[in-house]
Amino acid sequence: MVEKKIAVRSQDANQRRVLDRATRQRRLTRQLDALEKDNFQDDPHASLPQLAKRLPQFDESNESGKKRKKTRGDHFKQRFRKNFQALLEEENLSVSEGPNYLTACAEPSKLPQRHFCAVCGFPSNYTCVSCGARYCCVRCLGTHHETRCLKWTV
Amino acid sequence: MTTLVLDNGAYTAKIGYSHEKVSVIPNCQFRSKTSRLKTFTASQLDEIKDPSGLFYILPFQKGYLVNWDVQRKVWDHLFGKEMFKVDFSDTSIVITEPYFNFTSIQESMNEILFEEYQFQAALRINAGSLSAHRYFQENSSELCCIVVDSGFSFTHIVPYCRGKKMKDGICRINVGGKLLTNHLKEIISYRQLHVMDETYVINQVKEDVCYVSQDFYKDMEIAQLKGEENTVMRDYVLPDFSAIKKGFCKPREEMNFTGKYKTGEQILRLTNERFAVPEMIFHPSDIGIQEMGIPEALVNSVNNLPEEMQPHFFKNIVLTGGNTLFPGFRDRVYKEVRSLTPTDFDVSVVQPHNPICYSWEGGKLLSENPDFDEMVVTREDYEENGHYICEEKFDI
Ligand SMILES: Nc1ncnc2c1ncn2[C@@H]1O[C@H](COP(=O)(O)OP(=O)(O)O)[C@@H](O)[C@H]1O
Ligand SMILES: [Mg+2]
Ligand SMILES: [Zn+2]
Ligand SMILES: [Zn+2]
Repeated sequence: MVEKKIAVRSQDANQRRVLDRATRQRRLTRQLDALEKDNFQDDPHASLPQLAKRLPQFDESNESGKKRKKTRGDHFKQRFRKNFQALLEEENLSVSEGPNYLTACAEPSKLPQRHFCAVCGFPSNYTCVSCGARYCCVRCLGTHHETRCLKWTV
Repeated sequence: MTTLVLDNGAYTAKIGYSHEKVSVIPNCQFRSKTSRLKTFTASQLDEIKDPSGLFYILPFQKGYLVNWDVQRKVWDHLFGKEMFKVDFSDTSIVITEPYFNFTSIQESMNEILFEEYQFQAALRINAGSLSAHRYFQENSSELCCIVVDSGFSFTHIVPYCRGKKMKDGICRINVGGKLLTNHLKEIISYRQLHVMDETYVINQVKEDVCYVSQDFYKDMEIAQLKGEENTVMRDYVLPDFSAIKKGFCKPREEMNFTGKYKTGEQILRLTNERFAVPEMIFHPSDIGIQEMGIPEALVNSVNNLPEEMQPHFFKNIVLTGGNTLFPGFRDRVYKEVRSLTPTDFDVSVVQPHNPICYSWEGGKLLSENPDFDEMVVTREDYEENGHYICEEKFDI
């Protein structure tokens, strides 16, 4: 939200704001998180307020009519609803010995970082002073300023 | 007693009885904007005539099973009368799970398999171990192999020696097919057409037009050329799900290099996207994921193993998982691993005929193995000893 305000007043290219490291890192993290998303649109059922609430119950009732044993208490239900992050924390891997989920992650590459234009995807030689994005030519820099750069909130 | 083999992937379930063929079924539920009252499960995807804007409900998050409500619905469907009609009183199951699976997921799995469905026996195992088993059966003189499994959620590189996985060598790259599709969606949406809601369609585009480059910067140059010289460029005709049921590439001779098409078709023009997207498995740092790509990680993993074993791994590299189907994948892995290893080592990279079902085939073979009965946990075992016996028996 802060970003939006500033983008409006920094139309003049000479006084463009320069994003600090932390902000650039946050942006990258947000971009990478977005690549993990299952969907970008809303659940089609969510726009049916009444039905959306009732539907799961219909589903439930015709599925669980079967011989599903009622061995599961509330605690059991709880365990079936944890997300990845919660499960990972529960494993307490930072204090565990031997190879595990965290240690198995590939190390950073020893090869040099490669750079591509944030607009067209071709190899790039220049870096946007304001946000650190890469660009390959004046035209792409223009597009970048108009569409993303300081305006972008993902 | 029959055995059901289920490679329970985050994208598709590879499932079939050990004496029958394998089926590949979406391991998720769907909602469609055209049938707003229904949730479609697994193979019911076929009932959706217009999958534009298809909404996915996935049981997995980052490759780990977290949404059991959805997983149960899918399994009820797979095991039930619509599909495999499992007679639980006479069936064992071989089921896969990811490397370093979390304890609570493993326990939930035991409970659901034994207490809820009441399978007579179960074997929980990593898909890669089944692949290694398949490989050793066919190449019985080999002592070691290194399995690359590049699926929906991530890519694993796992060394196996005499059938046992070497845990210290396991390496995970957090790039899988889901990330590739989402990235392709992102760059197409920014550069030409808003397709952020079209996961289904763009995933198909990815599978139809992307390839692994053998000479990345050369392809970048070609992809910038104008007109006919640009041999990388493709025009992809998007499906409208009425006249055009499935997207396709315009044949080269029908391509219009200069202007727009007169026909009403909706076209995506793809150039560097075709190879820059799969490139992320080879250079995750291109999009800011600071991890080694497949060849570098593979060589790094082998170099950390005992020296006398190393040559055996380099000559038994096995590629599995859906992403390895990109044209050029095998050749690129070979080329880079070759260039990173001492010249007196042999390098051999094997791409099985069906890299998606290779581990299922391994599961089928395993269930026919004389030792199989020793490997499973029976329901009696479980009822007597609980989770402990599973932990003891399974190499997981
Ligand atoms: N022909 C293909 N070319 C490229 N990618 C493919 C192809 N076929 C499947 N895939 C991708 O492979 C991934 C699924 O691979 P798979 O090994 O079945 O994963 P999982 O075991 O995690 O379910 C998906 O992201 C899918 O888009
Ligand atoms: Mg898999
Ligand atoms: Zn550019
Ligand atoms: Zn910028």
